[in-house]
Amino acid sequence: MPQESSSPLKSKSSRIAPDQNDSSFFESTDNVSAPADKPSYIPPWTEPYIIGVAGNSGSGKTSVSQKIIQELNQPWTVLLSFDNFYNPLNAEERQQAFDCKFDFDTPESFDMNLMYETVKSLKQGKKTEIPVYSFKLHNRTSKKTTIYGANVIIIEGIYALHDQRLLDLMDIKLYVDTDLDVCLARRLTRDILYRGRDLEGAVRQWETFVKPNAVKFVLPTMNNADLVLPKGLENDTAISLMIQHIQKQLSHKSSMHLNHLKALGRDLSFDIKNVPNLKLLPLTNQTRGIHSILFDQNTERSDFIFYFDRMCGLIIEKAQEFLTHFDPVDVTTQANYTYKGLKVNDEVIAVNIIRSGDCFMNSIKKTFPEILIGKLLIQSDSMTGEPQLHYDSLPPNMTKYNKKILLFDSQIISGAASIMAIQVLLDHRVKEEDIILCTYLSTEVGLRRIKHVFPSVNVVIGKLSSMEDKADLWYNEERFKDSDWLFRNRFIDGLYFGTR
Amino acid sequence: MSSSQEVHKNVILLPQTNQLIGLYSIIRDQETKRGDFVFYSDRIIRLLVEEGLNQLPVETATINCHGGQVYQGAKFLGKICGVSIVRAGESMEMGLRDCCRSVRIGKILIQRDEETALPKLFYEKLPEDISDRYVFLLDPMLATGGSAMMAVEVLLSRGVQMNRIFFLNLLAAPEGIKAFQEKYPEVKIITGGIDEKLDEDKYIVPGLGDFGDRYYCI
Repeated sequence: MPQESSSPLKSKSSRIAPDQNDSSFFESTDNVSAPADKPSYIPPWTEPYIIGVAGNSGSGKTSVSQKIIQELNQPWTVLLSFDNFYNPLNAEERQQAFDCKFDFDTPESFDMNLMYETVKSLKQGKKTEIPVYSFKLHNRTSKKTTIYGANVIIIEGIYALHDQRLLDLMDIKLYVDTDLDVCLARRLTRDILYRGRDLEGAVRQWETFVKPNAVKFVLPTMNNADLVLPKGLENDTAISLMIQHIQKQLSHKSSMHLNHLKALGRDLSFDIKNVPNLKLLPLTNQTRGIHSILFDQNTERSDFIFYFDRMCGLIIEKAQEFLTHFDPVDVTTQANYTYKGLKVNDEVIAVNIIRSGDCFMNSIKKTFPEILIGKLLIQSDSMTGEPQLHYDSLPPNMTKYNKKILLFDSQIISGAASIMAIQVLLDHRVKEEDIILCTYLSTEVGLRRIKHVFPSVNVVIGKLSSMEDKADLWYNEERFKDSDWLFRNRFIDGLYFGTR
Repeated sequence: MSSSQEVHKNVILLPQTNQLIGLYSIIRDQETKRGDFVFYSDRIIRLLVEEGLNQLPVETATINCHGGQVYQGAKFLGKICGVSIVRAGESMEMGLRDCCRSVRIGKILIQRDEETALPKLFYEKLPEDISDRYVFLLDPMLATGGSAMMAVEVLLSRGVQMNRIFFLNLLAAPEGIKAFQEKYPEVKIITGGIDEKLDEDKYIVPGLGDFGDRYYCI
């Protein structure tokens, strides 16, 4: 995990202008300080923005949290409710709970340590399991929710602002301050209508436990808040001010992320020839002819698909040169002769970046009939170009010794999506050297960034362009430049899937 | 493709990468079931076809690219056809079609004459304009080369130029290569593996058995 060396960019605060496409990645990066020592990538989920929302039971914490989620509209927001962090009860306590005689409202009834460990783990960008608590059973269930890649985390609960360790992890702390009578009214409705309690039990619980604890333990945590919201959700002005503030913080965070991505790969000593673990498809009559068909704006779509599939076939064959587990095997042929062959013991898993990587699907299936396939959806923000992880679905057991992950994206433009995808795989404990990134078109600047942060990742490229117009490049006879339309625009998936 | 070797003049061997040897280890194994045999043979056949296509000349073409750029690319001349030797050679047609969609395919049936034990031409159906084309002759095994050489004879009699014939096979025996080179030195042989020798029954050692049987029947 690279989070330990995050300091060089912390000081940068300049806001970059919104940009419609990836082109800002090709402009001068002089105003950005390059990372100092060991290059690293800090994905947005390593520094998620953490919001704490506290308040009495029935104060409207959940509604306020929902409102924040809705207004922020971030790709990956996680609501962590204290409700799932109750300590499991023993048999005796459970009986008390069923009789509404158990005190659920003291700080001790929550597993603060687990909450702290969970938030800490999420803050480090790790894949984290969240317990699921059942109010019907008064116990933790065997189910768990797995959370990964969160950009914003909202911690919501009566004791959200109670534990100092949690407070230290939060970026903003809110206290929803609603009159206790209003709280009681809401609580009764909820307990009776949705939690199957009777009126008497619910009132008794309020008077014996909820209210005394609220006064004794919850109310004082208001002092830990950055912002107190009187009247909860009805307080439009306060809420919109707060959301504006959070949005500002988030856009600052995303511009730092972008600047960081831009600053990667400016190492001037980069020489394609000496990049280990890089394979470029050689320029032959066939590849030149296929490039011509794929680049030609007059090519029919059916031809485009056919020739792109062929191109993918060549790239996938090339990628297999990176497999490492070959064991000698003696094979007996039909005529009972012995052939000294090799058994391929690498187990290959494909991970496609939706949807550009999906163009490889046809050819993947033709090469590995029973391959497991994972998916990642990474999209660039239409305003800033910042890559954002929206969805991941990865096969289990990706870390066995003989696994090789083929990561597919049909184009590498800025390199940002690939870097993010590789980081996702690393977060799932895949080793850098077990990743084989396969792409058709790549810019040099994108490749540099990737190789700069992840030098051990294997890369296969169909056609690589150059940062500068240089003659006599063995891999780029045609002198394609990073700034050429073909290399700076995502057009392959649109043509392949016919959405363009 | 990674650089294929021209091991003898006009004999091109696919690069013997670990993964290619892995594929051959599957199809040579007598225990391999037909489904796998077909799947992995098809993969090797596609590599042979790609290599064959790579040998063809292209003409320079100016391409109007997406985004308005003009690119000095290449255009396929498209004057090719496949000719398969019935029945084993037909197994390679799919691989050829995978790489050249609407390619014309001719057929030649050659069988051993019961009386003379020599190969005899029973049937041929070839594209009319075959003399203008590059021909991919398809037969998975080159053992003695008897039937393939008879097929070449048919092609030459139809006016195909010898240096425009590419003989694609999965396995070749040195004896067959030698026979071919003596008689038809300009035919290009593209193969995925060159084996040790032929046994007394003229089977390739170690070989992979009867390709047609394994692809179609067993």
